[in-house]
Amino acid sequence: MGFWLDLTASGLITGGIYAVVAVGLNLQYGLMRIMNIAHGEFLMVGAYLTWWAHTALGVNPLAFLPVVMVVLFLAGLLVYRVCFLRIARGAPSVEVIEARSLLVSFGLMYLVQNAVYLAWGADLRGYSFLTEPVEIAEARFTANRLVVFAFALAASLALLAVLRFTLIGKAVRAMMQSPVGAQLVGINTATLHPVVFGAGLALAGVAGALLSMVYEISPSMGEPYTVTALIVITLGGLGSAAGCLAGGLLLGLVEAFGMHFTNPSLKMLLSYGVFIAVLLARPKGLFSK
Amino acid sequence: MADVLLAAKGVTVRFGGLIAVDNVDLEVRAGEFVGVIGPNGAGKTTLFHTLSGVLVPSAGRLVVAGDDLTGRPAHAFATHGVARTFQTPRVFRDMTAEQNVRFGLEFAGRTRMHAHDAFDDARTILGFLGLADAAGVPAGGLTPARQRLLEIGMALGARPRVLLLDEAAAGLTHTELEAAAQLIRRVRDELGLAVIWIEHAVRVLMNYVERVAVLHQGRKIADGDPRAVSKDPAVIEAYLGEEGEPEKKAA
Amino acid sequence: MRALGLRSILAATGVSAVVLAAMPWLLPDFWLSLALTCLMYAALAVSWAMFCGATNYLSLATSAFFGIGAYVTAWGLATLSYPVAVILGGLAAAAFATLVGAAVLHLRGAYFAVLTFGLGELVRHAVTYFEKSYFKTVGRVIQEAPSSTTVYLTVLLIAAAAVCVCAMVRASRLGLALAGIGADEERAQTLGVNARRAKILGFALSAFFAGAIGAAIAVRWTYIDPTAVFNPFIGFQTVLIAMVGGAHTLIGPLVSSVVFSLLTEFLRLQFPYAFLILLGTLLILLVLYLPGGLASLMQRRWVRG
Repeated sequence: MGFWLDLTASGLITGGIYAVVAVGLNLQYGLMRIMNIAHGEFLMVGAYLTWWAHTALGVNPLAFLPVVMVVLFLAGLLVYRVCFLRIARGAPSVEVIEARSLLVSFGLMYLVQNAVYLAWGADLRGYSFLTEPVEIAEARFTANRLVVFAFALAASLALLAVLRFTLIGKAVRAMMQSPVGAQLVGINTATLHPVVFGAGLALAGVAGALLSMVYEISPSMGEPYTVTALIVITLGGLGSAAGCLAGGLLLGLVEAFGMHFTNPSLKMLLSYGVFIAVLLARPKGLFSK
Repeated sequence: MADVLLAAKGVTVRFGGLIAVDNVDLEVRAGEFVGVIGPNGAGKTTLFHTLSGVLVPSAGRLVVAGDDLTGRPAHAFATHGVARTFQTPRVFRDMTAEQNVRFGLEFAGRTRMHAHDAFDDARTILGFLGLADAAGVPAGGLTPARQRLLEIGMALGARPRVLLLDEAAAGLTHTELEAAAQLIRRVRDELGLAVIWIEHAVRVLMNYVERVAVLHQGRKIADGDPRAVSKDPAVIEAYLGEEGEPEKKAA
Repeated sequence: MRALGLRSILAATGVSAVVLAAMPWLLPDFWLSLALTCLMYAALAVSWAMFCGATNYLSLATSAFFGIGAYVTAWGLATLSYPVAVILGGLAAAAFATLVGAAVLHLRGAYFAVLTFGLGELVRHAVTYFEKSYFKTVGRVIQEAPSSTTVYLTVLLIAAAAVCVCAMVRASRLGLALAGIGADEERAQTLGVNARRAKILGFALSAFFAGAIGAAIAVRWTYIDPTAVFNPFIGFQTVLIAMVGGAHTLIGPLVSSVVFSLLTEFLRLQFPYAFLILLGTLLILLVLYLPGGLASLMQRRWVRG
């Protein structure tokens, strides 16, 4: 029993991270059709900032989370202003926005990744934090993994609450359904877009910060998460934050169980397999009506 | 009685909870000139999307010249002889006008056996539409009105048996409207096509088509002779608050 | 720039190929190696632009195709001849592209790009697993590699073929279909283009050359392992070269590949990270301010004059 619980827990923990990363991308793409292929890089940046703060300054990683959020939010505003605003304004069609934002973010990916390589080198980095084991129902977890899961879940739920209950959240949802309609009602897209973009990067950063508490980090750690985020978005349905949460957890579980019964190296094959299967069977997402 | 070229049977289109097209039957025979009218949101363009294969209906069947093409992709409809224009002209902006027309000839136009020599040549089609002087001009550089004509030219390049025109005359003045309507009827007369024409400028359309179908909130509420339809109380009620009554032909 | 006729392009390519074929006997080793790199990127960029430039589908799968080709050589060179391995490498990549294309080419462009981006990693993991489980090895040693002259001439042939095929496609119905798909896919379909078939064909064709190049170049390394061969930088460089040159043209990627190969050769080893930061910045600036690449500058000048 403990073994299955352990496997399930692993899957949920990974899935929680996937959900947080995916929600950010979902907002950016769903709202602005900006496909930021460098999304994972900002996760990596969040991880490195936390690692650096802990090892160089001795700051508690959990306490540093809000700082990571703020820093990456501001970075998001800057990145949007420099890289994507021009595309959004000048493009004749949605397809062109997508295509150009993809290429720009592709360049951004190399820029950010190699800036980190330059700053901190290619070696794996890491630190110990809350590594004491905790026992729950015959399964043993290290405390940090539990903390990561709790925070990932909390972040996702908080975001869901914001989207559902606050004015700005409703504005975002309105915009995702009907950009023109939202503008007619007076929602200011010029301010909303950079804010949402920044929020997306902040979420990625938080995910990275959480990951740094458990795993070793490297400058190339971010790439797989971008792809996984897209797969989660497909699972949950574009534009649905709740779908992201459910989809992320589900994917985490599928991977955990799948890897156990086949082989850890086949993780990506599993994710892609799930992706293709969902696309073929339910293209609008598992949870759409 | 000419053969039925295009038949929509019980076509329904649902977007989530919204029913855009509700159990519509529409038949078009060879050489017929049919108009489709209705207030905004009546589902006309959505119906066109199903008739051309761009959208797969939630229910119902689409039969083109005896072949059931329901669910097939748009290119299958095109190669079976259904060509269409879009409400906002979708020309290939970086290609010349001639290349735009030739595009249809290269693809759907190739597979369609047709008696009319006018179809074989992009230049002739351009000339027919009054665009001969624009043959070498990139389509993106044409005025919107000429782009609208080019849209028709592209569709003709596909050598259709049925031509679907979606608001070919939007935004035109009254004289331009009459000219457009005459052109469309010429298309039908000289090239022997069946034409289905969606139009908001109802008065003009009614003067030219032989038959008109009226859509309202996704349902077909009338289908027949323009004069009879314009007197139909259900039709008049549907239009109240819109354009006013669709009038019969001025004597 | 007035488009040259197909025959002129083919003739020009043939002549250039003959001239370049003399290089192994004229150039010292270092420059020959550089020429080889130029030819490699020329083939990759031209074949990439053939599909992606026309359709505006951003494929980041070049690394995957390249690596597949490389492994065909790694596995097969002992039993097959070099030319056969190269062709087989191309075919294997094309087959993979057909499979992937059938699955994901009907998606919107953004999904397609991210998924092809992950393909390199996917295939790398799969090959690593396969090698470990069945052959109990991480990397392979290439034995009996052909001479550098043979490699050069082979790569030259592939590059020339890529240019010719690209020119022929652009002049053909397939090229027209791809251009229509790039301009307005739905519109093209309503005019009779079977978009799915055209895209898969174009994608597979472009993958063939990437795979063939991978198979041909693999012998340059004496030791091959998945990490070296499925290197995402190859894909990045290909995209950058094509975009800088002008993905809608034939000559743009060609000229650009020479420039970039030279740049890479002289700068990359000295400042590996700074160089990539520079390239990343370059791509960003390019897309924002000159999406048509340098070739579009030339066209504009011509039209005004």
